[in-house]
Parts: sequence; C-alpha cells; structure tokens
Amino acid sequence: MSRTAQRLAVFLAFALGCVCAHAAAAQDRSAPRPELRAATNPLEGNALAISNGAAMFRNRCAGCHGPDAHGYLGPDLTSYWSAGGTDARMFDIVRRGVPGTEMPPADPQRVLDKDIWQTLAYIRTLSAIPAGAPTGDAVSGERVFRANCASCHRVNGRGGQLGPDLSRIGSARPRAGLAGKIRGSSDVIRPGYEPVTLVTRDGERIRGVRKNEDEFSIQIMDARERLQGYVKANLTAITFDKQSLMPVYGPDRLNDRDFDDLLRYLTSLRGATETAR
Amino acid sequence: MRKQTRGLDGRDGQDGQDTNRIVPAVLVMLACALSWTLASAQQPALRKVEGPTASVTSQDLREGLKNPTRWLTYGGDYGNLRHSPLTQITPANVNRLVPQWQFQTDTLGKFEAAPLVFDGVVYVTGPLDTGWALDARTGRQIWRYRRELPSGLIACCGLVNRGFGVLGDLLFKTTLDAHIVAISRKTGAIEWDTAMEDFRRGYSGTTAPLVVKDKVIVGIAGAEYGIRGFIDAYDAQTGKQVWRFYTTAGPQDPGHGTWRGTDAKAWEHGGGSIWVPGAYDPELNLTYWGTGNAGPDYNGLEREGDNLYTASVVALDADTGKLRWHYQFTPHDIWDYDSTQMPVLADVTLGGELRKVVLFANRNGFFYVLDRATGKLIRGKPFIQTTWAKEIRADGRPMLLPNSVPSEQGTRVCPDQSGGTNWMPPSFDPSLGLFFVTARESCGIFFTWKDDYTPGEAFRGGAVQRLGDTQSSMLRAIDVTTGERRWEFPYTTQSWAGVLSTASGLVFAGGSGNVMAFDAKSGKNLWHFQTGSSLYAGAMTYMVDGRQYVLMPAGTTLTAFALAEF
Repeated sequence: MSRTAQRLAVFLAFALGCVCAHAAAAQDRSAPRPELRAATNPLEGNALAISNGAAMFRNRCAGCHGPDAHGYLGPDLTSYWSAGGTDARMFDIVRRGVPGTEMPPADPQRVLDKDIWQTLAYIRTLSAIPAGAPTGDAVSGERVFRANCASCHRVNGRGGQLGPDLSRIGSARPRAGLAGKIRGSSDVIRPGYEPVTLVTRDGERIRGVRKNEDEFSIQIMDARERLQGYVKANLTAITFDKQSLMPVYGPDRLNDRDFDDLLRYLTSLRGATETAR
Repeated sequence: MRKQTRGLDGRDGQDGQDTNRIVPAVLVMLACALSWTLASAQQPALRKVEGPTASVTSQDLREGLKNPTRWLTYGGDYGNLRHSPLTQITPANVNRLVPQWQFQTDTLGKFEAAPLVFDGVVYVTGPLDTGWALDARTGRQIWRYRRELPSGLIACCGLVNRGFGVLGDLLFKTTLDAHIVAISRKTGAIEWDTAMEDFRRGYSGTTAPLVVKDKVIVGIAGAEYGIRGFIDAYDAQTGKQVWRFYTTAGPQDPGHGTWRGTDAKAWEHGGGSIWVPGAYDPELNLTYWGTGNAGPDYNGLEREGDNLYTASVVALDADTGKLRWHYQFTPHDIWDYDSTQMPVLADVTLGGELRKVVLFANRNGFFYVLDRATGKLIRGKPFIQTTWAKEIRADGRPMLLPNSVPSEQGTRVCPDQSGGTNWMPPSFDPSLGLFFVTARESCGIFFTWKDDYTPGEAFRGGAVQRLGDTQSSMLRAIDVTTGERRWEFPYTTQSWAGVLSTASGLVFAGGSGNVMAFDAKSGKNLWHFQTGSSLYAGAMTYMVDGRQYVLMPAGTTLTAFALAEF
C-alpha cells in the first residue's frame, strides 16, 4: 500500500469510527427501544404495584384523565381494555406521548418502565365491566345531534365551535359520562369553555366562554362565535356563571328514545382518521 | 457630555481613567503606524494597549449597590435585598416606562437567572448551559457561551441556571453536569473547569455562585435523586476546591444522631440540595445558605429524626466552611419543603432595638426573622395558610398539626409541594420595613410509597396531587416589625416571578406574563407590560449613559425598559 493509500485508509477508519460513535451516542439519548419492554404488564395484579401506581396516577395522570380515570381534558381510560386495548400499546402511549395532543411523552430519565407498569396496573383495576350490548340507533342519533347539538358542537368538521369538538368523544368519554352531561347531572366545565358575562361601560352585556385571562384583560368567544379580547379597565363587571352554557336536556326536551339514539351516535365517534380506517 | 473613548482592544474607556490611557495609546499608535508605513505602507495594526481597565474587585462586591449603576451579585448585594438606590423611575413617571430592546436566547427552556451588569455590559446565563455578554444599551450580543453537555443529564426541574458570579475578569457558573466553570468576561472562553460531583449519580448545578473575597461559593442540586448535598468553596483563580460543607450530617459531624430509622445509610442519600445562592455578612464573615428537602421527599420512615442539616439555613465561616450555627425550618421534612429561598440580611428595629437579622420567607409557608449572629429565632409567622404546622414555638420548633403526615392513602396538606413561595427571589425595602414576596396559597394530597435508593434514579418515596381549586398566587408585602401583611395584589394565574424594589418607592414583580410596577407603600398597581411568556425570574435594574433600565427575564426573552424620551 502506498503511503497516501495508507493515510486514506487510516482517515476512513477514523471517520467511520466517528460516525459509529455518533450513532451510538444518538441511540443512547433516545427512549428505550420498544422491544425492550414486556408485551404484557409484568406487575398486573401486584398489590404493591397497584398501590404505588395509584399514587403515581393521581400525581401525573389525574389532572387530565380525572381522579377516577373517567376522563376530563384527556380520554376516559376505564374502557380501554374492554374495548380491546393492549398493555403494550398503552405502555407505548405513556412512554412516547401522542403527538399533536396534550399527552406528553414520559422522559425515561424521570419515569422508569417500572413506574409505567405500576400505573397501568392501577388503571386496570378501574376498568369498567364491558358494557352490555349497545342500545339505540346511531343513524337516528345523528339526526338528533344535528337538530339539538350541532349549532354549538362540531363533529368531523361540521357544526358550531362555541362548545368542545366532539369528533373523538366516543373514545374519550364513557356512555354514562355523556348521559350525565346531557341530562344536566354533571357540572364539569372544560377549561376554555367557562361561561362568562361581561358588562361594558355603556351597559352592554356580552355572554360567552373564557379562552384566556390575565390581570388586565380577558379573551372570550361570544355567543355569536366572535373571538374578542376586552381590557378589564373598560368593563364594569365580569361574572363567571356556575352553569355551563350548554342547556340541560331533560326528558321534556329529549325523550328517552332520542336520548338513547344520541348516546349510541356519540359513543360511536372515534375521530375522522379512525372512522376512515 | 460624557467623554468616551474606545481603546484599541475595543474596550470602552471611562471618564477619569482615560487621560492616563490616551497618551500611551497615541504613542503606541504612532509607533505602529510609523513602522508599518516604513515597512509596507499599510494601515496601522491593532495592538493591545497596556493600562488599567475596569475590573470587578472583591471590594466592589462588598459595596454592592453603593454604586447603583451596577448589579454584581444575584441579590444585588451581599445582603440579597434586591433593593436598588436608583430613583430615576418613580411612582409618578413609571407609566412612561417602555421597552428599549429585547434579547432572545434562540433556545428552548427559560430564564431563571439574575442578570449581572458591569461597565455597560449585561452578563446573563440561560437554559441548557448557555450564557451571554450583551450591550446594556442595545441588547446586542458581544459573545455567547455554550457548554457541550453530555447525554443522560439528570435534572428534576428544568435545564435552568440562576446566573453568573463575577470577580476580576472572570465569570463563574455552575453547570447541569455538576461542574463549576470560570469564563473570561471578555471572550466567553473557559478559563478553568472543575467537576464538583458525578452527574450520572443525580448531581447537577443550577445555583448562581456567591463570590466572597478570593473564593467562589456554590452548592449542588439533586435531592430528588438521593444525592448528599453540599456547599463548596473554590479558589477563584485556580478552580481548586478550598472547603466543602455537607448538608447532611455524617458520622463525624454533630447532628448525625438526627438520622435514625430503618436505613443506617440514609444520610448518604439524604438530599439537602443547594440551588439558590446564599448571602454574606462581611462583618461576621459568615455566609448563609438555605438547604433543600430531605430525601426521599415524602417517605420519612427510613430517616426518622430531624435530618440535619436539610430544610435549614446554615451560617458558615466564609474562610473555612465551618458551621457556626444552623436553624432548621422544617425538622424531618416530608413535604418537599426545600429551604432554598434566598436569605435576606437586614438591620431592622424590633422592639426598639436595632437587630442584625436574616429574613426568610420559606417554602413551608412561614416568614422567619432570625438573629444573624446566633441563628436564634426572633419570630416565625405564617404568610399563607399552613396545615402542617400551626405556629413556631418559642424554642424555634414548629408546632405540628395532626393528620399532616403523607400516607399511602393520601393526606391533604397545605401548602402543596411547591410551597408558600419558591426560588423566585423576594425583595426588602429597609426604609419602609416591608418585605415583598411572591406568595402561593395551595393544598395537595401527599401520597407515599417505598423507594429503594439506586444511584441516579428518582428517589421521592411518594408524590403529590395538587388540588386545583385551592391554588392562587399573589404579591404580598409583609411588615417585618410585626410579621403582619400590609398589602397584597392577586395574580390571575400562578406566578413564579421574583421581586425588585427601588428607593423611589416602586416594586417590580409580575404574573401571567405581565411585568408590573407597584407603589411600595400601598400596593397600587401603576404599570404593566405583557411580555408574552410566564415569568420565572426577577427584574433587576441598572444605569448606563445616565438612563435607568429595568431588565426583566421572561421565558427565553430579556426585555429592557426605560422611561420614554420625547
């Protein structure tokens, strides 16, 4: 080998070494590879794991999924397994998060695999008994929805926007939770939808939902779906109502059959992408 | 008009010093010019001019804000009053305060640092171990420092840093991989780099250093990972360690008997982080540091006893690091009540007597006044609602309330783990005797579980569920002579902003992204500006070219405000 060729070989070997080292380092930084985790929860049914997992759930998950895992900002988790979800998939969701949503990834530096399995072991204990055969008619339910709900709620790009988008509500809330909301027994109001009444200096009353607020201003969507900010110094009153802007649909406004159909329709909503699949 | 020359090395000259420098400068220039003309007929070369330039002395640090145009330590001066003598901006004209410049880090993360200002230049550290020298007049970058960080950093609570220390032509900072580095104030280049501990075992550095005489005093963070906390002093010139004080008492230390329980080695991974800088009293030659929570955070079974010296303030001899006294705010801490708030040293009249005191608004919800020479409690009074302790007894210990021990089933305790206040620095106006602090009202459900110590892994022994409907935050003014609240201003959202006050009777603080000015006497809000990001640091103020600036870090942006000039 000539001297030049020798040098070239040494250089190439070095360069290759650098690339490999770099790749190894990059791998180092990434989350544990999925094949390293078990396919099923190794701590399923373990009493200590369930107790530890309960505390972790309340600390890290309950803020969005609700203290009973029945869903709040994030989806209901109690029907995950009965709907065919697997331990492995749930583990990966917790580890990697759900891109494009509020669900964050769990940093492997802070959240160990064991922590995730413990949390899952706990959530499993909250699992709902598989519901009986669904009742009601979804096609009829969609008509009920269009007539009563769509002016404020959007599904797959159609409908109003004063209330939350319901395109995925079927995977986010159990039937019982939706029933309570419609019949008026639930007073939970999502952040961003708190009803508020503003009174301007000329006495005009503006009703809407609060989108944001600081010490000096408030931003709302009013009942006509107009987004607007108001400087507090120019308002004479800001009143937050306890009652959601959503009307209560008692049996007088929505008979049991229509109610049942509507619930069937809503629980079938799994998001545009999932429906298309 | 102010006379100003620019040295050949690019440095600004100042009045007074200039004449000494101009003559030799001109001579050298002429000589250079002559030789170059003779040799090659080109432009004169740029050569360094010998002569004195402005440099930070230990006397400057000791004098603190006596020269109020500067800001040389985290708390403004060794007493950490964060109370500036500057009076150009007043309650009457503060409504004319407008942004002059902004600086953005171009990184993720957030500022938690106190910027320093010296000789017309801002020195500030940012997230992910970055730092900058900026023109204090315009915000333009002069140099940038960035550390190549190893993978696998272990930091519980954000990749942040709380600022530089300065001495001579060196800046000092702690790093996320648990080193302390000295950086050239002129170029941003590393001058020395000393490992404090192994970051892979959960140690990290975020505090701003406190420079005392020829030493740089710092501490270590990581009590959520079972570290053994310490306070270190390093030689400012060489980076060699001079002394170390461990914040958990080892077998040879007094107080070791306060580590009992099921784990005989509990003190070895007992926490006691340091992540906010201390104070210094030059007369007593004592340096005061607040220490962090005991570890594991919530499960105290394996570490029965008071767990000295966690959740305390320790007064150390600045030359030797020897413990002079300690006062433990939260004996046997099981609520994550770090005492890493900034100690404030003040001379106040109490009961007709001038007392040298430490003022300390603690994460545990109590506001303490301690004798600075002895550590004896003068007064401890809640400044928020507390359910873990009712009051502080005359012997200095808290009177614990029942049903406040974290448990497997969960125990409701107020405040929650983020506490009545946190790292955000307060300020103290000695002329009004008012202490201004960002306060939080909150409760949480504290759960425990068993955690076995593994180096580098989370070691908390539990968790806390915050109770959303109990949370609120506000700026509170506490009268230090009585411990009573004088006024408060409620924020709409949770505030993490520090406080600055000025001799003109203003308080700068903020919340919900708004930097705000208040009348110090009444608490009346006089001015605000929406920065567009949450505030995680406090404002500071400086003067350059006869103009007073207020500099506010918000998110990854610095905004400098001054009175509008028409």
